[in-house]
Amino acid sequence: MPISKDTAVENARNDLAKRLKIDAADVKEKSVEDSDFPDMALGAAEDDEMSGQMITRGWRIQFEAEGKTFEYRADKNQVRAYKFKGRNYRI
Amino acid sequence: MNRNNIFIHLALALVLIFVAAFAGQLSRWRKQWKPHIIPATEKKRPTTTDEIALSETRSFGSPEVLVKFKSGVSQETIEQVTARFHDRIEDRIENAEGWEAIDDLDNADAATVVNEYLQLAEVEYAEPNFEIKLPDEVEGPLVPVLPRDPQFSDQWALANSGQKGGKEGADISATLAWSITTGSDKVVVAVLDSGVDYTHEDLAQNMWVRPANMDPYRDNELGTIDDLNGYNAIDSTADPMDENGHGTHCAGIIGAEGENNVGIAGVNWKVQIMPLKFMNAGGFGTTKDAIEAINYVIDRKKAGVNVRIISASWGSTQKSRALEAVIRKAYENGILFVAAAGNASTNNDRSPHFPSSYNVPNVISVAALERHDQLASFSNYGEKSVAIAAPGVEILSTWLDNQYEEKSGTSMATPVVAGVAALILAEHPNMSVDDLRKKLLASSDPIIALKGKIATAGRINAAKALE
Repeated sequence: MPISKDTAVENARNDLAKRLKIDAADVKEKSVEDSDFPDMALGAAEDDEMSGQMITRGWRIQFEAEGKTFEYRADKNQVRAYKFKGRNYRI
Repeated sequence: MNRNNIFIHLALALVLIFVAAFAGQLSRWRKQWKPHIIPATEKKRPTTTDEIALSETRSFGSPEVLVKFKSGVSQETIEQVTARFHDRIEDRIENAEGWEAIDDLDNADAATVVNEYLQLAEVEYAEPNFEIKLPDEVEGPLVPVLPRDPQFSDQWALANSGQKGGKEGADISATLAWSITTGSDKVVVAVLDSGVDYTHEDLAQNMWVRPANMDPYRDNELGTIDDLNGYNAIDSTADPMDENGHGTHCAGIIGAEGENNVGIAGVNWKVQIMPLKFMNAGGFGTTKDAIEAINYVIDRKKAGVNVRIISASWGSTQKSRALEAVIRKAYENGILFVAAAGNASTNNDRSPHFPSSYNVPNVISVAALERHDQLASFSNYGEKSVAIAAPGVEILSTWLDNQYEEKSGTSMATPVVAGVAALILAEHPNMSVDDLRKKLLASSDPIIALKGKIATAGRINAAKALE
């Protein structure tokens, strides 16, 4: 079942709140932009993960929380936290 | 006029004729003569494996490069330039103003000589003077062969006629290659990817099926798997059906059935595609599953399947010794490993991308070109670590549900090279993996934009690969 943009944003928001141990309402949506990513892991591969080297259309989602900016990347197949505390996570 | 004067004039005329004839012969001897001694003041010449491979393609006995000097450059300057390079002007090309056929006297490969001239401000363009001939001593120009596949006109990678504003001729010369061979169903190419939609209308006839007389795959841990249509390393099952589309796209580039009045043509009209699935519906997978799938290929090779090429349109920046080891094992079993250079616009010499950056003799790292012969904006590069380039932007190929889509990436460039490798093996089934790799790298057209970017500085040329 393909993920919609709204669902991706919502999943990302909930994931960030969980990681920061804060309420989802305290995670502010900063921007959601269509974007081309370099590969099928959306340029956010986890350790030990290989991905198809095909340009992939998706969404770059940015949130503000606790005075910082956090980035998530998503497409119809997946949502990923990009470099959260230096590491990528597929959620 | 008295009788004495007549004899004097006749004698003078005879002397003049002999002098003219002798001068003409001297000129012919001069053109035929080539020194066999490399001067001590030898120019800096290639040292990388890829560059050395290129040098092996030099055709002796004909000018090596054709150089077009800019208008206004005097003949004296041209002669000074060629003398400085220890080269010789072989001929001026009729009906092509400014073009000179130049012979290098240092036994350098054509690509190196071309690159030397391209650096000069006086030079507008330079290209190798390749001989193109049919195999098996059949002489004569190659005649383009066009398939009757309805969407072939959109396949700029195979025949770039300038469609969508592209550069005419910026393609892999597939139509000329097809006058030699369109592939062979005796050659098996493993597509190690997200699987393949083996029911696709343009692929079904070219899918590998385990021969009836061959035992099913047996793994010590997994037991027996009835691998009739390939292998799924994610679930360790026999069904490699693609749930993403990426693998199906790559498979179509290598071997969508040609001349079937359906869809597109692959680089090979006939071939056997062995589908392997290690990436999921999202297009990503684990190193462990990639290793498992490569081990499957090696096992099938040992069992008698003529699988000689693995096409690997995937990667990451994570290095794995285990993955490197299994790719080396594939090399030891005569299997070429064609890998995507990556799409991060970065230099792989400094920031390696794997598996394309593994220093294993069967690995060919492939960069992507767009339709104007420019390196794709996303493509990784590396003068030492990236071997060759192939079209990889807006590439039309097969997709899930009998569809066709245009996709971009070094993922798309990789199966182009894998496909050309399969064409070579169709003509030379016993060629070793080392020779196959050398042949591929020696079969490129020099591209100005690739100079200093990748080892061969060239775009794969399927017709040259079949010379």
